[in-house]
Amino acid sequence: MKTSIKPLLYTCALIIVGMSGCANNRTSADEKKKVAIVVSTLNNPWFVFLAETAAAQVRALGYEPKIFDSQNNTALETEHFENALASGYDAILFNPTDADGSVANVKRAKDAYVPVFCMDREVNTTDGATSQILSDNYSGCVALGKYFVQTMNKKGKYVELLGLVNDNNTWNRSKGFHSVVDNYQNLQMVAQQSAEFDRNKAMEVLESILQAHPDIDAVFCGNDAMASGAYQALAAAGKTNVKVYGFDGAEDVIESIRNGKIEATGMQFPQLIAEQAAIFADEYFKGKRDFAKKVPVAVELVTKKNIENYLAYGKRD
Amino acid sequence: MQKSNMRRIKLIKYILTIALIVFVAYNSVYFRKLDEVKAASPSKSFNPKSFASDFYKNKLLPRADSAVDLNVLISILKTQPDEAFKKYSNALAIGNIRYFLVKGEGIIHSKSDDAVIVKLKGDREETNVNIAIEFVYGNAIRDASGLMNLNDFSNTAEFNSISESINEIIRKEVLPSFVRDADVGSDVKFTGAIEINRKYVDISLIEILPIDLSIQN
Repeated sequence: MKTSIKPLLYTCALIIVGMSGCANNRTSADEKKKVAIVVSTLNNPWFVFLAETAAAQVRALGYEPKIFDSQNNTALETEHFENALASGYDAILFNPTDADGSVANVKRAKDAYVPVFCMDREVNTTDGATSQILSDNYSGCVALGKYFVQTMNKKGKYVELLGLVNDNNTWNRSKGFHSVVDNYQNLQMVAQQSAEFDRNKAMEVLESILQAHPDIDAVFCGNDAMASGAYQALAAAGKTNVKVYGFDGAEDVIESIRNGKIEATGMQFPQLIAEQAAIFADEYFKGKRDFAKKVPVAVELVTKKNIENYLAYGKRD
Repeated sequence: MQKSNMRRIKLIKYILTIALIVFVAYNSVYFRKLDEVKAASPSKSFNPKSFASDFYKNKLLPRADSAVDLNVLISILKTQPDEAFKKYSNALAIGNIRYFLVKGEGIIHSKSDDAVIVKLKGDREETNVNIAIEFVYGNAIRDASGLMNLNDFSNTAEFNSISESINEIIRKEVLPSFVRDADVGSDVKFTGAIEINRKYVDISLIEILPIDLSIQN
């Protein structure tokens, strides 16, 4: 009887040891360290630039990067984290899909002693990521709000297209904008709807809003992809006199500001964010542990007046 | 006897299988208290208005008294801009936008809807600066003070709400009497914050977001 139980016990023990071993599958000192770059979506050129810049910097620092696309899906993001942890990645440069929904992933990595450096998007915990490098969306949109009031001569009807409703950037941008604009009673917001930071959705949403409100004067968009989609919808409806405002500093919008199609954008600096995240990972590998929990990155207002100072994505000279 | 042994083996197999399932399930799912989860989201108890009121009276006004004189700052920005940014500017964000806490005196030159234009006293080059009377928004005042740290707050929304409340104090309590009494030719004393882009330094269009203003007729 004893002999018939033993194989079963060995099997169980092997499974348990195997499972617990997964969390400690980090690279040894001699191996090249591996850095996972988990990005919310690669369906937006801004995030492609962020991911590729991070990968290039990681490579330049002598490590091995791999980009994972979460496709704006928190469940897929969780899979990427599980794979990265099981495959022995040594650090994660992370652009979350959801400020609350991504917290568990960050904590899972922390429990496995893998540092996480958030890029551009925030997770709602100070006890998870080693550091979060975030655009100062609020200040950027205060500047946009002031410019909006000035260029609208303090009156008119407008639409606001919001980003992903579970993302803090969406609300920090919206709050910054409204902290200025809501003080002007003759500026009336006739519709506020999410287009999930997506160009095609922005086009569809604005086409539908235009049916009910054909007399709008402006559209404020939470990112440049939506601004491009909004402009496309307005152009198709023959309403190119409607002012469009974006946020990001994406290539097509910089070109549109130059051509007078879009009024303004808030220039983020994805290169600075991505490079800083990779540098933090490098410093972590070399023993540094006292990182600022949040590092904001300044956003600059780009209009036709100062467009000559800027290139797409705030690329430096 | 053989039958009872088989039963016992079967029973042990069941127990081990269940134990294995429980082990896997336990490590796949975790539970957290709801109040812990709620504690991670914006704090409902934080009152930005009372925080800002206390900060404005007890920290910002005393700090503004020791701000750099605007004439001195302009002079250093012209000759040694890097030194000026290093010595006098503050910013919580990395990048080119920097803030200065300044003080000065001047004579009101003119007024517009958005600003009171002031000719600085003691300035040989007769620099005019704008004191904003309409667009007092954003984080310039909070950040120029150098007195606050984002990492002391649980989230950025809470931190930004402090700026909104400080700006509201200035718009509602400082500006109305100033705008009423600011006649052209009057002497004005000011403390405030200015924003300058380190990469594109432009001192021809200095706009002061006021912290404290007084007219001295």
